[in-house]
Amino acid sequence: MKKNLSSFLFTLPSLFFFCIALLIPFFMGINIAFTDWNGVTKDYNYVGLENFIRMFSDSRIVAPIKNTLILAVIGVIANNAVTLGLALLFTKFNGKFGSICRLIVFVPCCLSGVLSAYIWKFIFRFVLSALTGLNSPLGSMFWVLPAIVVIALWNGAGINMLIYYAALKNVPTELVEAAIVDGAGRLAVFKNITLPMIAPAFTTCVTMTFTAMLKEFGTVMSATGGGPARASETISMYIYNNLYTYSRAGYGQAISLAFLAFLILVGNLMTNFFRKREVEL
Amino acid sequence: MATMRRSPVEKVLWTVLAVLVIFLFLSPFYIAVVNSFKTQLETAENALALPSSLSFANYQDAMKKINFSKSLLNTLIVTVAGDVLIVVCSSMSGHAIARNLNKHIYFKILDRVFLSSIMIPFQVIMIPVYKIFKSMGLINNLLGMIIMLTGISVAYATFLYVGFIKSVPVELEEAARIDGCNQFQAFWMIVFPLLKPITATVAALHAMWLWNDFNISLILLQKDEVRTLTIKQFYFFSEYASDYNMAFAAAIMGMIPVLIFFLLMQKYLVGGITAGAVKG
Repeated sequence: MKKNLSSFLFTLPSLFFFCIALLIPFFMGINIAFTDWNGVTKDYNYVGLENFIRMFSDSRIVAPIKNTLILAVIGVIANNAVTLGLALLFTKFNGKFGSICRLIVFVPCCLSGVLSAYIWKFIFRFVLSALTGLNSPLGSMFWVLPAIVVIALWNGAGINMLIYYAALKNVPTELVEAAIVDGAGRLAVFKNITLPMIAPAFTTCVTMTFTAMLKEFGTVMSATGGGPARASETISMYIYNNLYTYSRAGYGQAISLAFLAFLILVGNLMTNFFRKREVEL
Repeated sequence: MATMRRSPVEKVLWTVLAVLVIFLFLSPFYIAVVNSFKTQLETAENALALPSSLSFANYQDAMKKINFSKSLLNTLIVTVAGDVLIVVCSSMSGHAIARNLNKHIYFKILDRVFLSSIMIPFQVIMIPVYKIFKSMGLINNLLGMIIMLTGISVAYATFLYVGFIKSVPVELEEAARIDGCNQFQAFWMIVFPLLKPITATVAALHAMWLWNDFNISLILLQKDEVRTLTIKQFYFFSEYASDYNMAFAAAIMGMIPVLIFFLLMQKYLVGGITAGAVKG
């Protein structure tokens, strides 16, 4: 009993910070979602489910939802195709050259989204136009989201690349060799051995990238601020704008809760979907 | 994956491809560095060429305008204090949870609550955090920033510690307890030194995340004198949008500390990430 007490005391410091920063705000947020609080004044009224009903008639919310989904889908595909490709490429080099390659792809990961967005804004505007004569894709209604994916890819590719690389390194050589001896082609080896063996890494990377892209905020804020003409405004930014620009904190909070429900649902569905396709060694 | 049939031609092909990848990933750094030394006119003429002379004028300019030393100091205070708090708090709670998971329901619940909280995106707590911290006078306050950063990080850090501590033999602590140590002494004198590898990973990962934090500083740090580097750069870049050269100088200065840190700690960062543990 005494031991339990001191163990309980051990959890208090973490719990203290956790409550102030996450738990209390989370429950307070549920409360705010049912009010018409504007984010500034002291007083507010309870409005019941009005904020949640309003989401269905809000024409301004359509664009952020669409943008967020497009960003997440092309982000996941581009990111995983590129990072898996890079990891496969880097497994071909043992020794110094390979480790330098991995290091260089990982370096941009230590920069903030603000910095990456700034550098790429410049590249899109000056370097791209000098090389190809095109205007910056960040100014185009159509190309702005793919351009943001490129920024996020440079900034974050290293992480998934490392996870895939570690997974590929764990594929038993004997298995691959046995298949080759049996006359399997390269594609067959990749499809029937490598891919199932790295499935857990695939699950992690796809789910992580997808939820991270859905939450994307800093990079878009710095790259475009949501423009041109709201073509890159994401759900996260719409929530932020409801607090700071439109003074509708209650409504913004309701959207964020719906967003959280969606994230949990998608995260779990995706994990379950991919987990079923994994093989045990 | 090592032994595939390889022809020399193929080997060359892969090498060329790898070099191309390296080149692509490095070129943004090249562009940033080169342009930080150029004048506006030089950049307008050719953004890719080397500067005609090595002049630090942009750096001096940026240093003055961005109030660099002040925001560097703010970032350092927030990152170091937050990092230490995260390590101290989460190693203790990680230990308590790992050792008592099946002994008392409280620890099981806490473990579950911490784990599920990792899913919560920042936007869900953004508005209430603003409200709470404002009412406590912790807006525009580095202490508020440290509390917030620690609070959103302890759950994940605890999770990393729990996983590691489960593999540390319990006998050592028990021996220390029999010799008369209380749990506090036993933890800090016997267990904590054994946790060095995971502590290095937790500290390195969080130092990087805290240093680069954008979301929380955007909400909490609205006055210039308390701003950290990332948020300062965010406003600086939009304010001096047309003065690319000075902005690049500012960007490079902000990058150097992280890059040095990264090169020193890369082993632990890579280890932390490939453990399959990545925070979204």
